Amino acid sequence: MHRETTTHATTHAAARDAGRGTMLRLHDVTHVYPNGTHALDRVSLDVPRGMYGLLGPNGAGKSTLMRTIATLQTPTSGAVRFGDIDVLAEPERLRRTLGYLPQDFGVYPRVSAADMLDHLAVLKGIATAADRRATVETLLHQVNLWDVRKKALAGFSGGMRQRFGIAQALIGNPGLIIVDEPTAGLDPEERNRFLDLLAEIGEHVVVILSTHIVDDVADLCPRMAVLVGGRVRLEGAPRALIEGTRGRIWTRTVARAELPRVREQYEVIATRLLAGRTVVHVLADRDPGDGFAPADAGLEDVYFSTLAGARRAA
Amino acid sequence: MLLQIARFEARYVLRNPLLLATALAAFLFVGAGLSVDGFDLGNEGGLLKNAAYATLRNYAVLSVVFMLVTTSFVATAVLRDDETGFGPIVRSTGITRADYLFGRFAGAFAAAALALLVLPLAILVGPLMPWTPAEQVGPARLADHLYGYLLVALPNLFVHGALLFALATFTRSLLAAYLGVVGFVAAFFLLQTGFVGEIAVAIAEPFGGRALRDMVRYWTVAERNARLPAVTGAFLYNRLLWVGLGVLALALVGVAYRFADQRMTRRERRRLQRSRDVPAQATRRAGAAVVLPAPQHGPRALRALLWMRTRFEVRQVVRSPAFVVLMAWGTFTTAYALTTRDTPGRPSVPTTLTLLPDIRDAFAVILLVVAILYAGELVWRERDRRVHELVDTTPLPNWGYVVPKTLAMALVLATMLVANVGAAMLFQLAHGHTDVEPGKYLLWYLLPAAWDALLLAALAVFVQALSPHKTIAWAIMVAFVVWRQFNQVVDHDLLNFGASPGMPLSDLDGAGTFWIGAWTVRLYWGAFAVLLLVGAHLLWRRGTETRLRPRLATARQRLTGAPGWIAAAALVVLAGTGGWSYYNMNVLNAYRAPLAALARQAELERTYGRYAGLPQPTVARMTLDVALHPAERRAVTRGRWRLRNETPGPIAEVHVRLLDDALELVRASVAGARHVVDDRALAYHVFHLDVPMRPGEERELSFETRRWHRGFRNGAPDTRLVENGTFLAAEHLVPVLGMGREGTLEDAAARRRFGLPARGGRPRLEDTAATAHATLGRGWTTTDITVSTTADQTPLAPGRRVSDEVRGGRRVARFVSEAPVRQSFAVQSARYAERRRTHAGVELAVYYHPAHGRNVDRMLDALAASLDHYRTAFGPYPFDHARIVEYPGWANFAQAFPGTVAYSETYGFTADLRDPATLDHVTATTAHELAHQWWGHQVTGADVEGSMVLSETLANYSALMMLKRLGDEAELRGALAYLRDRYLAWRSTGGVAEPPLMRVETETWIGYHKGALAMYLLQARMGEARVNRALRTFLERYRFRGAPYPRSLDLVAALRAEARTAEEQALITDLFERVVLYDLQVRAPTAVRRADGRWDVAVPIAARKLLVDARGAEHETPFAERIDVGLFTAEPGSAAFRAPNVLVAERRPIRQGVQVLRFVTARRPTHAGVDPHHHLIDRRSGDNVGRVAGPD
Repeated sequence: MHRETTTHATTHAAARDAGRGTMLRLHDVTHVYPNGTHALDRVSLDVPRGMYGLLGPNGAGKSTLMRTIATLQTPTSGAVRFGDIDVLAEPERLRRTLGYLPQDFGVYPRVSAADMLDHLAVLKGIATAADRRATVETLLHQVNLWDVRKKALAGFSGGMRQRFGIAQALIGNPGLIIVDEPTAGLDPEERNRFLDLLAEIGEHVVVILSTHIVDDVADLCPRMAVLVGGRVRLEGAPRALIEGTRGRIWTRTVARAELPRVREQYEVIATRLLAGRTVVHVLADRDPGDGFAPADAGLEDVYFSTLAGARRAA
Repeated sequence: MLLQIARFEARYVLRNPLLLATALAAFLFVGAGLSVDGFDLGNEGGLLKNAAYATLRNYAVLSVVFMLVTTSFVATAVLRDDETGFGPIVRSTGITRADYLFGRFAGAFAAAALALLVLPLAILVGPLMPWTPAEQVGPARLADHLYGYLLVALPNLFVHGALLFALATFTRSLLAAYLGVVGFVAAFFLLQTGFVGEIAVAIAEPFGGRALRDMVRYWTVAERNARLPAVTGAFLYNRLLWVGLGVLALALVGVAYRFADQRMTRRERRRLQRSRDVPAQATRRAGAAVVLPAPQHGPRALRALLWMRTRFEVRQVVRSPAFVVLMAWGTFTTAYALTTRDTPGRPSVPTTLTLLPDIRDAFAVILLVVAILYAGELVWRERDRRVHELVDTTPLPNWGYVVPKTLAMALVLATMLVANVGAAMLFQLAHGHTDVEPGKYLLWYLLPAAWDALLLAALAVFVQALSPHKTIAWAIMVAFVVWRQFNQVVDHDLLNFGASPGMPLSDLDGAGTFWIGAWTVRLYWGAFAVLLLVGAHLLWRRGTETRLRPRLATARQRLTGAPGWIAAAALVVLAGTGGWSYYNMNVLNAYRAPLAALARQAELERTYGRYAGLPQPTVARMTLDVALHPAERRAVTRGRWRLRNETPGPIAEVHVRLLDDALELVRASVAGARHVVDDRALAYHVFHLDVPMRPGEERELSFETRRWHRGFRNGAPDTRLVENGTFLAAEHLVPVLGMGREGTLEDAAARRRFGLPARGGRPRLEDTAATAHATLGRGWTTTDITVSTTADQTPLAPGRRVSDEVRGGRRVARFVSEAPVRQSFAVQSARYAERRRTHAGVELAVYYHPAHGRNVDRMLDALAASLDHYRTAFGPYPFDHARIVEYPGWANFAQAFPGTVAYSETYGFTADLRDPATLDHVTATTAHELAHQWWGHQVTGADVEGSMVLSETLANYSALMMLKRLGDEAELRGALAYLRDRYLAWRSTGGVAEPPLMRVETETWIGYHKGALAMYLLQARMGEARVNRALRTFLERYRFRGAPYPRSLDLVAALRAEARTAEEQALITDLFERVVLYDLQVRAPTAVRRADGRWDVAVPIAARKLLVDARGAEHETPFAERIDVGLFTAEPGSAAFRAPNVLVAERRPIRQGVQVLRFVTARRPTHAGVDPHHHLIDRRSGDNVGRVAGPD
């Protein structure tokens, strides 16, 4: 009864206060699928408040990790804690403060955006009709779906559907928000808008953003990790990580025909076409000469060199 | 191009697992039908498993089942492209519309046609199984399969494939195709029966099944086994019509289908317009200032959750296209059940309680389907729609899935039942029956049916929640339902999930006390279902996890709190109701497992079978005092029987046994005898006389029996002794003397199982030793029966009512019969209304339920008229009363007892005879049953072949002549046509060898139907007076005569004594001693005007006479007989036909082969006929009359 009579403002503030010191901790999380695939291999991470980028190629185990944190999957071993919640033992408690945008989701047929949002609001414990109306209105405006609120979700474009996805993840001021590959399939404008929205929320709560697009992380996340083959290969603040590769990345523009030779001689971490020729980034502790110049390293180079390292290790 | 497309499509379809699964299921199903004893598919009685006709029926029925394949693959061949979004790619490749459409259709159709080949395979392989009974399998014939595949199944596949393809492609909606399937199935089932002789019906039924059935209607078993029907008439037209419609449908789609305007209706375009992308940039920059309401997790939130979820789930179900299809299907089955509930030609008043079993049976399957199907759909909905990751990460508790989904299912089931009931109510009102009783619908149908369906739904939800895949759970549920249907092993209601004791309904007794047991056990299973749902809550599959083990780990933790309390409460209810039910079923009442009951019967025969021939005294007089306590469902009978030794030797032992399991022998003693065998388990008692009874000597047996239906028992309740409407026959109240066949094992397989010898049929007609026993072992006696019951009920028993008074709050009546009566009597008691009439010194009375008065006067009229006729024709009536007494409608027959007819409320009392065109079967039945007071209750036959002739044949003949006397030509013609059709249709299902009338054993179509036709023809030829004189002579000789009892031979002898000519003697031989069929035909008769103004008429006639031998083979036999021929100015049998339409009616000599009969008439005839009134039995009676050709 007490909880029901509390005003929105105070609960909201309380939620934020609670979220302030909250941290998501993963300890030795391992997941082996029945077919023998090691999707996660002793993953340990400490995720503080703010945006946290989880970068990795397709099949790296990102979605498995996301679903494990989101209580959709029980890992084979390991521990997941969020604040004082033991997520594996009490998934119900985490779900009360969880917002999750899956990589891909469907919709019920013949259900409008507003109805679906309203329905999910009920599921998340927004009990009174007035609260739900406020929630639905605010969120639909926030993600700019207000004008199409009465349309069936099934007819939405990819961007609209993704915006709906983020709206539902925000219901009830969650303390932990998990977004799995949210920008895939969005046009640049949609993407910017979407990331803005995330950044805004990320000031107060833990937001984990999984992606294979380096720029998403570079633009937004104070901290990040790189997951390859189920293992954490790199973890830290992007700025520091970039700093770490300074002086080891070299670049040169080569003709297409030369590329095989360059690949053979150097450890090429990335190639990019520029006006018909190929710009090559290579990893080397010393100046390789041969026309290479020091590159202005970005997060992309950090990422690709990590992947290259993982490939070498494998 | 078309070919390539077709080949691609066929490959695609053939690789689909659903097609393979359907083909495999069909193979196993048909294979089982062809190999397992007692499991017959297309077999419509007594045929070989692979009989020609059975094979054709299998092809017809399975081509209906194959609509599953056509809707899934053929109908969707084009639609599929739109759904997968692949359509634009395909259509932009430059293929032509025709190539695309017909290529897709041809490919899918070819694949389905290929899959259909499992049928011949199964029919060929099935009989080869080692467990197949060899005597049920004939040689495999290629021709049957060619006929069945090419003329039945393949055209059917094309017809529904093409029509459904056209429907789906044209409307761009799968729903339309499913509704089309409903239409097809409806047409198939609706048109299988009824409308006898309507060629249009056979043509209209799309699968040709009805046309096939009509062609073989009068075929014998031997013919059905080996013959294929000719491809002519209705069958040919049917094939041409439907294949033509299929081609037309394809052509229409070919013309109407558009590539460019892909499936975009104007409405869809508008919808698209509206949902055009909303750009992102115009958004308001919403900052941290926006504060959203915080979640709550208290009871109020949970209530909101429950309400919202339920509403949401219901909406999802109700709006889904499948629901529309199911409702259409449900409405159709209800309408079908209601319109076909009456025997053709015997409409009845649609009272609520008589409708309930009909709509319940019709709807049972659909409820089953909905419960199982929707449990899967609902449990898996989030995952199927791929919203599970959104929903499963919300704090929604597991019961937030289980409870709303179950409630939604309950609501859907209830909605369907309400629609079902609504249809029934409309049906009642449409038939002018305004006494619609919503309360009865609710209590006796809606609630129990919904409850039972929900039990199944709960189980299905539980299985779905545990199963890793929806289809696995569905398969488990289907297996469960099949097991439940065919399970013969476990019959205890407390062990069969969802079973409950029966709750028979009747207007007289309502649901009696039967509802108590039914609902106690329902409650028991309800508690069990709650436990299942708690289990589903604990183990709910959430997220992407499908394994069970991680869920089991957390289940115990989830049990704490409310789920635990609910489970505990359910356990308490389960234990309470279970214990109480066990006490009722196994302690208060005796429970026997099915096998144990059979074993007991076998034990009885093994132990006491050796006494079967032991001479026993007869009961010279029965004095009974029957005390009925209907409210307690208890009856105590005290009896004193005077036994007389009517055998030539001394009798040393009296054997007394009870036939009814519910009857208890409290005490029994025979004067001067010791009770040497007191076998309560087998209800067999032997009294050894200290001094044996000499021939003619008398002794007294006194006994007390009790039947007491305490509480409720397992399975179907005993309905004999109820609160209102008790109907107890002799075996339900008193013992029988001596060991006989009654109560021993009948079923041949069961006898083999228990090592008992196979049982022969009745003793042969020539077995004179057997004439010592009367039919059913019931000889002559006299009775003095006192019946007491509660003061508000009327007690009834056979005999003159010598007293009837209320004493000490009980009504006591005494009935005495000085005239001999057979030891078959009935004691009845209910709150009756009474209508009497004194007619010619006999008191006629009908005792009936006060609401059932509509046909009572008709019954009294029939009694009076019959009494007059039979007295004149056959001799005196032995009683001073004739009573008709109603009993509750859980059985559906009328039965004659001495001076009394017990009549079911659903047999005559609710008959609807308002339409004058309806055959008055109430009068016919009343006349038939009263005739038994002569045939059965004045003479009774020996227990040998042909005894049915002395009772049923003569009773049916008497009733027929009564109808003739009442003077309605149409009525009589209708009755004769009915008899003829019943005989011809049923003889074809009755096994290979058909006995002649004189040797009939249990074949009702011979004893009742052929017998009456034979007697009718005999009186037409010999004259009614002479036939009745023969019957009178016969009756006088054997009236109330004990052993040796008369045989059918004695009746034939009496008839022969009246026959004057060799022709009449030969007729008697044909009718009684042979099986004879005629095939008479009029061929193109002509009329030519003579110079004198009169007409020369030539009538060519083709005639054949067939003798059927003991193996069922027909032999054409030369003959020369005088047969009725006639010339008419209207078609005989038509509504316009009157006596003045007859120009010529005479008997002319007819021989086998073709012959031309010539006549000269004053007026020009329009029709000529041979045996125009169908006195002879002719399977093709439609060609007996021909239209006369020639100038006017």
